[in-house]
Amino acid sequence: MSFLAPFFLLGAAAIAAPILFHLIRRTSKEKQPFSSLMFLQPSPPRVTKRSRLENLLLLLLRCLVLALLALGFARPFIPRPVEVNNDPNAGRKIVVMVDASASMRREGVWDGAVKKAQEILNDAGRADRVALYTFDRVVVRHVGFEEWGQMPEAQRAGAAGERLAAAQPSWAGTRLGNALISAVEALEEADSDDTQAQWSGPREIVLISDLQKGSDVDSLQAYEWPEGVTLRIEPVKAPKPTNAGIQLVAERRDGPRQKEDAGPRVRVTNSADSKREQFHVGWVSGTSPDFLGGLAEAYVPPGQSRVVRLSKAPAGAKDLKVKLVGDDEEFDNIVWHVEQEPQVVPVVYLGSEKDTDLEQPLFYLNRAFQESKLEKIEVIQRPQATPVAQTDLDRTRFVVLARAPVGGEAASLKAFIENGGTILATLKNADDAASIGTLTGGAFPKAEEADVKQYAMLGEIDFEHPLFAPFADPRFSDFTKIRFWKYRKLDLDAAPAARIVARFDNGDPAIAEFPIGKGTLIALTSGWQPSDSVLARSSKFVPLLYALLENSGAIRSIISRVQVGDEVGFDGAPGAPAVSVTKPDGTTVQLEEGAKFAATDQPGVYTAKIGEARQTFAVNLAAGESRTAPIPVEELEVHGATLTAPELTPEQTEAKKRLMLKSQLESQQKLWRWLVVAALLVLIVESFVAGKLTRPAVE
Amino acid sequence: MPATTDTSEAPATLARAGSLIDPQALMAIKNLEMRAKIVVQGFWNGIHRSPYHGFSVEFTEYRQYVSGDDPRYLDWKLYARSDRAYIKKFEDETNLRCHLVVDNSRSMGYGSLGHTKAEYANTLAATLAQFLFQQGDGVGALTFDDQIREYLPARNRTGHLRHLMLALEKPTGGSATNLRLPLQRIAQIVRKRGMVILISDMLAPLEDLERDLVALTACGHEVMLFQIFDPAETTLSLDQSSIYLDVETNQELYIDPDFARKSYLKKFNEHNEAVGAICNKLGIGFHRCLTDQPLELALFDFMRDRVERGKKAKGGTGKRK
Repeated sequence: MSFLAPFFLLGAAAIAAPILFHLIRRTSKEKQPFSSLMFLQPSPPRVTKRSRLENLLLLLLRCLVLALLALGFARPFIPRPVEVNNDPNAGRKIVVMVDASASMRREGVWDGAVKKAQEILNDAGRADRVALYTFDRVVVRHVGFEEWGQMPEAQRAGAAGERLAAAQPSWAGTRLGNALISAVEALEEADSDDTQAQWSGPREIVLISDLQKGSDVDSLQAYEWPEGVTLRIEPVKAPKPTNAGIQLVAERRDGPRQKEDAGPRVRVTNSADSKREQFHVGWVSGTSPDFLGGLAEAYVPPGQSRVVRLSKAPAGAKDLKVKLVGDDEEFDNIVWHVEQEPQVVPVVYLGSEKDTDLEQPLFYLNRAFQESKLEKIEVIQRPQATPVAQTDLDRTRFVVLARAPVGGEAASLKAFIENGGTILATLKNADDAASIGTLTGGAFPKAEEADVKQYAMLGEIDFEHPLFAPFADPRFSDFTKIRFWKYRKLDLDAAPAARIVARFDNGDPAIAEFPIGKGTLIALTSGWQPSDSVLARSSKFVPLLYALLENSGAIRSIISRVQVGDEVGFDGAPGAPAVSVTKPDGTTVQLEEGAKFAATDQPGVYTAKIGEARQTFAVNLAAGESRTAPIPVEELEVHGATLTAPELTPEQTEAKKRLMLKSQLESQQKLWRWLVVAALLVLIVESFVAGKLTRPAVE
Repeated sequence: MPATTDTSEAPATLARAGSLIDPQALMAIKNLEMRAKIVVQGFWNGIHRSPYHGFSVEFTEYRQYVSGDDPRYLDWKLYARSDRAYIKKFEDETNLRCHLVVDNSRSMGYGSLGHTKAEYANTLAATLAQFLFQQGDGVGALTFDDQIREYLPARNRTGHLRHLMLALEKPTGGSATNLRLPLQRIAQIVRKRGMVILISDMLAPLEDLERDLVALTACGHEVMLFQIFDPAETTLSLDQSSIYLDVETNQELYIDPDFARKSYLKKFNEHNEAVGAICNKLGIGFHRCLTDQPLELALFDFMRDRVERGKKAKGGTGKRK
């Protein structure tokens, strides 16, 4: 008989305990009174002589229990020859995953990875099947299992190696977790395809990567690593560890006001294994290596990051970028910056009053649309004398209608709405209201001046409508201070398509939306000028106007913080013009309507052409790529991956094999169960005997 | 030299007479007074047939003059009336004042025989009281543990004996045995010369015992000590090794009797020898009683001690104290 865990036999030494307890004379637990202990000294516990060992049967039973337990824990088995598969490498399935993320662009890293991959490919046996993938944010297959099988045996490794050598590391981030899951899926897919028992051998994933800290392994957390798939990690080490990277830090809109010459802020991240701490950051233009203006100094200890503010971007320079100097690796030292020009937003105003007339809506409209860092809203006034032209309407997507359309205006405005434009019609009087109603296709053929006693308030507001959605929070939803002195009463019974966005407290519509074609007309039954209401002077006026502008698509959203591999969406409002994007390398991609731009495969400045307008945006490296210190291999194990043990010496392999054989035999025989059962039985007998011995004799 | 006797030398006559009462049977009687009467009665039955007849010198009596008697004690008045010479006893002699000082501490509450040392001691005290009371002597009692519990002055009145019995029957208590306090108190209270009988196990430190006893004897008191022991205490014949609890101090000790016996007996005997030596030195009658011995023997010891003392007093000074 042999033992799997012979050291547990030492537990049998515990037999000494019951023997000792039997030798110690039994003493009563009860306290006995005595007249005086003044002549007595405490006595040590006395041990009886061996010849006086009491209750021999009990002692034997107790010793037997301990011996049986010790024997059981030692996991005994009866050795017998077993058939062993002598070639553990038979029919392995190997997925080789090569990291091709931006961090692999470091000097010597990619070459090292290719070399290692080639070694693994060369080591693959005849019966093995190998698949070769590279990954960054996405996984790219170079050689599949099936293809490997179809290739001539002698050329397999060479051909796969050539394909890998042809690949280059990309600029994208590393989604290591996703890549590993894909590799497991590839293995499982191959398993389900296999009908031959030929590849029943071990399944293995070989990961060749720099394992940089910025790798995303979170997806492994939710993934249950299948049994029988082992992960072998072949780390590739960069010869120069010092690496710092930079990223632009988004400026807070509501942050403190900065000085005139203050430029954007950049975050300098130093890798945990860096040897240097002192870096410099400054502006460069085009391909010139010279810095424009002064350098900002950044002292960043390894593993930490610091934010430094740059000087204002030099005016007039083209193709501006921020460069970092002081580390070993160039790949993440440049960040592209696009200075956002205020967007010009034309708004057409149809009204005849003077800009300076305090009693008219235009005065308040002009003041509501203040120029900001992001937008410059240009109000184009078209009085009755100069009717709105088609060119005006082509430029804008938002029209404010404060007078009745004249002549051909109605037709062109209708066409404007049907093409996706938005008209805000403020009904200044009942007559205007009726003529504006024609734009809606006769939704309200007539309107009459409402009879307002004292004032009216907004009573019922549809906070789900985009116009009022920003006010849905109870903190902002108080509209009771906006009093309306006058309004026009619309009869909307004939317009089932109309959506009443807000009603007065007596139930009359205050704001109604009419969808017409691709666009909408929003009718405000009162005006914001002081003669009608105090709306213009309320805090809600400006947010309401901006909500209208944004809904109309007149203001484009800003594209910022785009990383390599991200998709960029342009406002796909109905009727929006076609978009084409020019990449930094000069190639142009034409986007289909509503499609997103996904070809952000290199860092740099991209230019999107949206109809006549142009929008530039910078695409930069993923921030995680700069954190190049390797993650501990164990972290992958924490996430559930089963790692293969490091390489063993032949003796160790032999010992391991023997141990495996032993444990296989032991698990087949499971003698320990019988020993435990026997121990339990003896225990029962012991309890019985002990009970009988201690029970007082029946008188 | 006062007699320091051991009850183990029981007078053969008493034993032969079969009058001895088994203490276990005696203690089964609940009433202390009854117990005392039984013992005293039994003692008288025995003593009348004993060669020690007439030793009771405490009787008030006349005795015919024999040659050699001191003529000073002749009752001349009686001689005048009857023309016979009689020796007259002094009244003082016949009215002995005896104080029974009884240890009632917790250590006296120990007993391995079904009755405790305290029960034995109380019965002894009651027996002596009964005996002395019958002779017309005044009997008082003082019980103590770590302080004085009960005190009854020595009297010979009707009903006094009953009070005395009640005082003796109080249960044991206290946390220690304090021998000083009762001895000093007796010395202070009792001005007239008399007899003090101390009944105790004497399981207490002996540092001041000699001084206190000296104070008593110096006052002229006749002092007698009955040391009461349970047989288990004298041999440490305990059943098994166990945790033993000191009933007075609540101290707990693990004791293996076999292991501890030798040193215990050594210390125990040393202690008792020290008590004996003090008594010897001061001329105090010292008697050790085991609770399995008949009480009559103790009474006999008492009597013998008195007789010897009387002889000595006569032989030594020619007159009674």
